[in-house]
Amino acid sequence: MRSFLFLALFVSIAGLRAEQPKTLAAPTVKLDESHHVVRVNITNQNWDFLRPWGKRAPFTRRAVGPVLAGGRVLVSGELVANANYIELELPDGSGKTPAHIEVVDYECNLAILRADDSKFLKAFEPLELTEAKVGDTLSVWQLESTGVVLAAPGPLTTVEVSRYPTDDSSFLVYRAQTTIQFRDSSFTLPVIKAGKLAGLVVRYDSQANNAEIVPTPVIRHFLKDAGKKPYAGFPRTGLGFSNTRDPQFRRYVGLEGSGGVYVTQVLKDSPAAKAGLQPGDIILSIDGQPIDQDGNYRDPAYGKLALIHLISTKHYDGDAVKFVVQREGKQLDLTLTLAHRDVESYVSEPYVIDRAPKFFILGGLVLQELSRQYLKDFGNDWLKRAPQELVYLDRYQHDLFPDHPKKIVILSRVLPMPSTLGYEELRQLRVTKINGVELQSLADVPDALEKAANGLHKVEFDADPSVIYLDAAGLKGDEEALTKTYRLPATKRL
Amino acid sequence: MTRPLGLTCLALIILLGTSRAQPNEIRKSVARITNTAQEPNYRIPWLPGAQGGGSGTGWVVSKDRLMTNAHVVSNAKFLTVEKEGDPRKYIARVEHIAHDCDLALLRVEDAAFFKGTKPLPVGGIPELESTVTVFGYPIGGERLSVTQGIVSRVDFRAYTHSTVDSHLTIQIDAAINPGNSGGPVIQNGSVVGVAFQGYSGDVAQNVGYMIPTPVIQHFLRDIKDGRYDRYVDLSVGIFPLFNPAQRKAFGLADDDRGVMVSGVLAAGSSAGVLRLSDVIMSIDGLPVASDGMVELEGERVQMAEVAERKFVGDSVKLEIVRDRQPQTVEVKFATAFPFTMNANQYEKQPQYVLFGGLLFQPLTRNLMSSFQFQNPRVDYLFDHFIQREVYKKHPEVIVLSSILNDPLNTYLGDFKEGIVEKVNGVEIKTLRELAAAFAKQAEFYVIDFVGGGRPLVLERAAVEAARERIKSRYNVTDEQFLGETTPAS
Repeated sequence: MRSFLFLALFVSIAGLRAEQPKTLAAPTVKLDESHHVVRVNITNQNWDFLRPWGKRAPFTRRAVGPVLAGGRVLVSGELVANANYIELELPDGSGKTPAHIEVVDYECNLAILRADDSKFLKAFEPLELTEAKVGDTLSVWQLESTGVVLAAPGPLTTVEVSRYPTDDSSFLVYRAQTTIQFRDSSFTLPVIKAGKLAGLVVRYDSQANNAEIVPTPVIRHFLKDAGKKPYAGFPRTGLGFSNTRDPQFRRYVGLEGSGGVYVTQVLKDSPAAKAGLQPGDIILSIDGQPIDQDGNYRDPAYGKLALIHLISTKHYDGDAVKFVVQREGKQLDLTLTLAHRDVESYVSEPYVIDRAPKFFILGGLVLQELSRQYLKDFGNDWLKRAPQELVYLDRYQHDLFPDHPKKIVILSRVLPMPSTLGYEELRQLRVTKINGVELQSLADVPDALEKAANGLHKVEFDADPSVIYLDAAGLKGDEEALTKTYRLPATKRL
Repeated sequence: MTRPLGLTCLALIILLGTSRAQPNEIRKSVARITNTAQEPNYRIPWLPGAQGGGSGTGWVVSKDRLMTNAHVVSNAKFLTVEKEGDPRKYIARVEHIAHDCDLALLRVEDAAFFKGTKPLPVGGIPELESTVTVFGYPIGGERLSVTQGIVSRVDFRAYTHSTVDSHLTIQIDAAINPGNSGGPVIQNGSVVGVAFQGYSGDVAQNVGYMIPTPVIQHFLRDIKDGRYDRYVDLSVGIFPLFNPAQRKAFGLADDDRGVMVSGVLAAGSSAGVLRLSDVIMSIDGLPVASDGMVELEGERVQMAEVAERKFVGDSVKLEIVRDRQPQTVEVKFATAFPFTMNANQYEKQPQYVLFGGLLFQPLTRNLMSSFQFQNPRVDYLFDHFIQREVYKKHPEVIVLSSILNDPLNTYLGDFKEGIVEKVNGVEIKTLRELAAAFAKQAEFYVIDFVGGGRPLVLERAAVEAARERIKSRYNVTDEQFLGETTPAS
């Protein structure tokens, strides 16, 4: 009975194929399409930021990656984050090869993979890129275990600028309405329009049947940047703005016409600051494009879009872009030289991926640098569960540290040892000084420890208990026992 | 409490160590209290709020007064008391209420209520393992209930009624259930505590707490001048000095003495007297151990207990070591800690200013529990109000808590939950200052919020034009309530 059913199903698929259906209402399958895509198997292992000397348990995911010209395979950045081992697999499972990351950008959530064996993808036909617009029918591809492409069609419903996973970046997304049957263990899947690649699904909401897609314009930008060395990344301005919808506000600032956004923040040393932009300026146009009161411009391809797209995706690192602003009733032309912002330049880094967390264990006091990655290790509800003081420092770092202290050093926990007696309960405290040396980053700790007075280390915090002392000789004596007792593979990584 | 001037003592006689009450006298002197309360709704602060209430227990403490918990009679609009063997309900009123130690004193005008009752004498701290009896009117029936248990633990603990205060507490294993609150816990015919809080059965078993007599006595003494002044405290953080390196750094001998001052609240009693890294060696002559405990009347208790027994106007002598030099300093308790925004507040009408349909309210625990604010800044300022001395810049944290939608403010939704920093360039520290800023004539009212962003702008003419429309549409009776005016002292 079972096998009969299976057979019947098979027959009907074959029948569909033969008829070449015009409508895309039901999933369609074409055998030859599998020459454009490859399976990607990834084993990731994340660092454990709460126990920074080790990694968490590894896990493996499968995805489908489109093959691009030059033997490159495109996948999402999230998929390869902290990857230990990457493998490409032929669609029908008949062959595998190890692969490596050629370029990855976790902000735009894209990565290029390359097979270690350059001949592995010889027989594949590279996909070209195409843009899509609202109303187009897109097709999300998965692979059946046989290697047959399972295509889930659906209309492109929305094109908008939205937040990307590192949550400090916003870029264009496509959203499509489609029903994806779950085949593999991830939703990194190619999106095809008329035989060309229109994007990568990165997230799928099975209740709303909504697929979130990294779209072609972002992919094109990434690929162009990937061709240059060193990889530059998507540019930023370093300004914050708010809308000017309220007519009372428009009258107050003397804003005529209908457009313009009000600059609320200009980060120090940012492209905006270097060009002379100031809080209170009203941006009227960028790159010749009028900016409306909500911060949108009219994109020739997509219509109304948030101005971030114009800056970050239409332009590249190093581009000079003209801003027309209104200041004290007068119009000014300012030229910004756009630049990518390096993630390591943040006081509290929004993400730490592929980099081991830094730490320094001072006789049992675990010292680390604050990052959002650290906070996120408190779990999905980290905003509630992580120490509120640290969440606050991370979230408002630009207001709190306009002059960029390099990093925030925290005492995350204590591994109790004889020389830390009485300090067992200390945790999640910001360390300001060691032996009187103001800490700009964890790297300052070893030098500061050279400055012990009377054989004592003095550690100062910005909150109760304000100061503790440690016996310098005692710490040295504890060192071996510390690594043994807690089975620490290392006591520092700077 | 100002120092009693001899004659100001009320006719409140506390029968300390006098005749024990007999079991039948005790039963007659325990009353059931029914409270019809009215709790304001902070979302519609111009209205009086909905009625609710509950019941608890009280006991005769003097010839015409009952003692109970503050939480039994909080927000009371109408109180009745009943007792065993008496068919009548008597009307009572709150004479004194102490939310920081969860005690209240009730007055029953009709002397008939006290016929056959006996003021219960107040005893001392019962021994561990000794037996105590709890009298009250808990759930499970209408009549007086008596349960028995032993004293399990004497400890400093949080009093949940205010959420921010901690005092000496005695844990007992007698059953304490809702309705027992305020009832006397008796040993040898004397009150040794007032039953007040416990855990629900799914958290812990046989754990009930009573307010011990030092706290009861403190309350009774504080109100002697006719006013309750609240507890005073040192307002310092202390850190134990166990670590040999820490002791060496402060030049201390290895004798288990002394704690480090690890925080000093700027608005507290010790500001300007104690400094960070001072080591407190003794308090009022009692040696302070390295874990912060002192021996007081035979019990090892936290050093704070010494300050707990003081009143406004008192002071405490501290022997300290500062920069390795022994010194003696005196901390004077001029007032109780002035900022109570983190504590639950009762009997208070919510303060607010409504301007252009924008509702501004000072941040309080009551406000926090009425609104589920999403702005992390609000959470942070609330939780760190005292620790980070937010009160220096914002004695009141003024939140734009909600917006009564109107064409005037239809574009202002993004400002909701913002914290007011300035109006027309003037820093706003209190709700009164905000009201004053809005009362000033100006063409535009420009409101800056904490954390930058664009200012909120209202045109005076537009606000005036919308005023009556908003008031009538939203049934607003008053546009502001700035608090009871404090009489000039």
